[in-house]
Amino acid sequence: MSEQQLYNKDFEHIISEINNTIDSLYLTKNCYDKNKLLNNLRRQIANITMLMQNNRINTDSMIDPKNPTASKVFTPAELATYTGKDGNLAYVAVNGVVYDMTNVAAWGGATHFGLTPGKDLTGVFASCHDGQPILSTLPVVGVMAP
Amino acid sequence: MKNKTNSCPNQSEKLKLISMLANKAIASIKNGSLKKRNLVWLELTGCSGNIISLLDGVNPGFRNLATQMVNIIYDNSLMVADGEAAMEKLFSIADDDYILLVEGAVATKDDGLYNVIGQLNGQPVTAYRAINELGPKASYVIAMGACACDGGVTAAKPNPSHAVSIQSVLNRKVIKLPGCPCHPDWLMGTLSYILLYGQPELDSKDRPTMFYSTLIHDICPRRPFFDQGIFAEKLGDKTCMFKIGCRGPVTPVDCPIRKWNQHVNWPIGDDSPCIGCAQFGFPDRMEPFISYNTTREE
Amino acid sequence: MSERIVINPVTRISGFLEIDTTVDNSIVSDAQTKGLLFRGFEKMLTGRSPFDAVYFTQRICGICSSAHAMASTMALEDAMDIAVPDQGKYLRDIIHGCEYLQNHIRHFYQYTLPDFIKLPQNNTLFAANQTDLRLPKPKNDLIALHYLDSLEISRSAHEMLAILGGKAPHNHGIFIGGITTQATKEKISRLYSLLHNIKEFIDNKMVPDAQTIAHYYQDYFDMGRGYGNFLSFGCFNNYSQLGTLYLNPFTYHDDVKQALDPDKITENIVTSWYTDQTDTFTPYETIAEPDRAKSQAYSWVKAPRYDGLPYESGPLARMWLSGEYRHGISAMDRTLARVFEAKKIAEIIKVLLSNLIPGVDLQQKYTIPDHTVGKGLIDTTRGALGHWLKIENKVISFYQLITPTTWNLSTRTGDNLPGPGEKALIGTRINDTASPIELGRIIRSFDPCISCATHLYRDGSLVNSVQIVS
Repeated sequence: MSEQQLYNKDFEHIISEINNTIDSLYLTKNCYDKNKLLNNLRRQIANITMLMQNNRINTDSMIDPKNPTASKVFTPAELATYTGKDGNLAYVAVNGVVYDMTNVAAWGGATHFGLTPGKDLTGVFASCHDGQPILSTLPVVGVMAP
Repeated sequence: MKNKTNSCPNQSEKLKLISMLANKAIASIKNGSLKKRNLVWLELTGCSGNIISLLDGVNPGFRNLATQMVNIIYDNSLMVADGEAAMEKLFSIADDDYILLVEGAVATKDDGLYNVIGQLNGQPVTAYRAINELGPKASYVIAMGACACDGGVTAAKPNPSHAVSIQSVLNRKVIKLPGCPCHPDWLMGTLSYILLYGQPELDSKDRPTMFYSTLIHDICPRRPFFDQGIFAEKLGDKTCMFKIGCRGPVTPVDCPIRKWNQHVNWPIGDDSPCIGCAQFGFPDRMEPFISYNTTREE
Repeated sequence: MSERIVINPVTRISGFLEIDTTVDNSIVSDAQTKGLLFRGFEKMLTGRSPFDAVYFTQRICGICSSAHAMASTMALEDAMDIAVPDQGKYLRDIIHGCEYLQNHIRHFYQYTLPDFIKLPQNNTLFAANQTDLRLPKPKNDLIALHYLDSLEISRSAHEMLAILGGKAPHNHGIFIGGITTQATKEKISRLYSLLHNIKEFIDNKMVPDAQTIAHYYQDYFDMGRGYGNFLSFGCFNNYSQLGTLYLNPFTYHDDVKQALDPDKITENIVTSWYTDQTDTFTPYETIAEPDRAKSQAYSWVKAPRYDGLPYESGPLARMWLSGEYRHGISAMDRTLARVFEAKKIAEIIKVLLSNLIPGVDLQQKYTIPDHTVGKGLIDTTRGALGHWLKIENKVISFYQLITPTTWNLSTRTGDNLPGPGEKALIGTRINDTASPIELGRIIRSFDPCISCATHLYRDGSLVNSVQIVS
């Protein structure tokens, strides 16, 4: 499935979830349930925001993650300089694509669950985020040298 | 702070929820429609921070818990009995109905002898033995705080006492209330719900969704700064703590609206980053807590 | 007739403690105090970011976390050569003072009083076979009510702490330079009003309650003396404007009060389950390795010494050294000194509050040196607390802790002198060996905190019984 198809699918899915939540909100009288539903709604809206941002970033940066030749190519040594420390940007590689984590919320202080940037994190990514639509939301800056 | 009348209904309802649940449980116990249940507070390999946190709670507070809601059979920090008499009291409950609250991890090194919680019939009772004997028989097991839920600081590397979470020892449902310490509201809300209705809705990691469903980042009052890329350069700044290492974006809990100690303040309100104490992996995977030389260009 | 009396667990303390005594003809002839919990913070801290020590070491103890925040922060300031402005000292000392209040109030009402009064026996938490309860019913019942009232007061001491520190336990406020946030007019006035209620409670309930207990248990003025050696690292002192509001670092031995010399502090592991190249070392020297097979050791509590001698630390030591309390040295004096100290601390906080300037930002963007060492010595709720650290390649390479309870419940060195807690138990007359309430009353007067002492425990003879379980 292409990124665009994935994007559309996620989008439709979230919209239908939101409609469901709103329907349920009409029905519930219990404030505990209501809170839970409102929380769901907030989460779903956050997901949409993420998808939209990604779409914008991908368009803005004119980098097509599906077409690696169009973007910057990183050697492991080059990638290793993007440590997120001492003013350096925070880059991470997953499945051959290099992402800029500098301003990604979950990478506060340029670290994430004990992981540091400047590395290929394909293995740990698969073990923690398998099946989650995360990569499509991240800004792409290039690819790893083959 | 807490006296705003125009706050978001979602937030104010959330704060009211705990006292609503507790008052309902107290009223039901008073009129006899609900039985007062036994409660065992088992402190294992930790710092006593969760019992102290519970004592800091209000509406309902510890006084409500101890006098109106449950029979506290055992709690090493507060019970009057000591020595073997205390241990006998603890183990005499095993055949009765009881809810088990656990704070602290379980030290397993050298057959658990790194943490002995008492002596029974002349033999030491290790934390490991206590949880193994009392965990399976309890009607509910609630793990309070980072250590009980996930090993926490007690299991921080190199984990000298080989400490593990409660769940690693017990093959049964353990309700988890992570946090360092656990907020008294999270505990009292969960407990009140259990008394009234049984097990509350839990997420995939067995945390009650009524407290652990939304990321701090998503409801953080400093979120607009993040969205605009305005970041604190040091502690004490009033903007987004992201560059200093804030773990709010990976920690799903309701700190920003609930706050601490009668809802007066919270870490980000104190101009410091969230250190992710209510997320699994704390502290090792949440460090460094404070970073000063990150991606900001000089 | 010789008989062994063991109390385990000693409830109503912080952490896990065993008292192991030999009683000859109703007199305690020997006593050992054993901490039953080991986590090993000194090992854990190695390799971590120095900044993280402040929040990390707080997790040593849930009841006195700010104490560790103070000591670790001061050690970092010493290592990084950072001078703290008075406003920073005031603010973090207020946080630390609130912890004193929370601690002393909880210790007196929740931990100490149940040894001396009867709480409602229809409550399972309070039900116990107690003996030797002497208060007339009306006085007993009044104090029992105060037990419950005090919950609200100690809670509001932590609320004060959180106003400046973000949350309690395990605050975020105390940090290099003072505290993370700034005082505001709103915060200061809220602190005043909470402090007012706490002070009223101490003056009108806590002090009279303590005096009532002392009146009915006067024999405890002659019990649990210990050595009468006192040591303090000082607290609420060193302000450039206000000077010393409480106490500078002093020791007291053989009726002589002297300035403390930190270089005279050693730790000894002769009777502790550790080995190293040397049995006696200074704090910067080494972190001893656990060694459970070591013979003649009976506990994992180390034995800190000052000039080679065991010293007591805590509220009585401070009140004695500052000259505020010189009634005597005993279990009851320890309890009274703690209660009077609560009153004193509330007064100090009031002075500090009146000197706050709203809006002062104390924080800078700090840089960690590549290589450095530093120590933070401060008197905390339970007594003298020291953190000694070394930094190499910008990370912690060495971290030494000596906590108040390590001083008070210390083990023995080659001279076989018992630790202060053990010494206080030895010689005690036990009225009824089936109910040795004297032991708990004496040891609780030290306010032990085993969570802080982070000791390791093993008794080879007990291994068999544990294997049955595992």
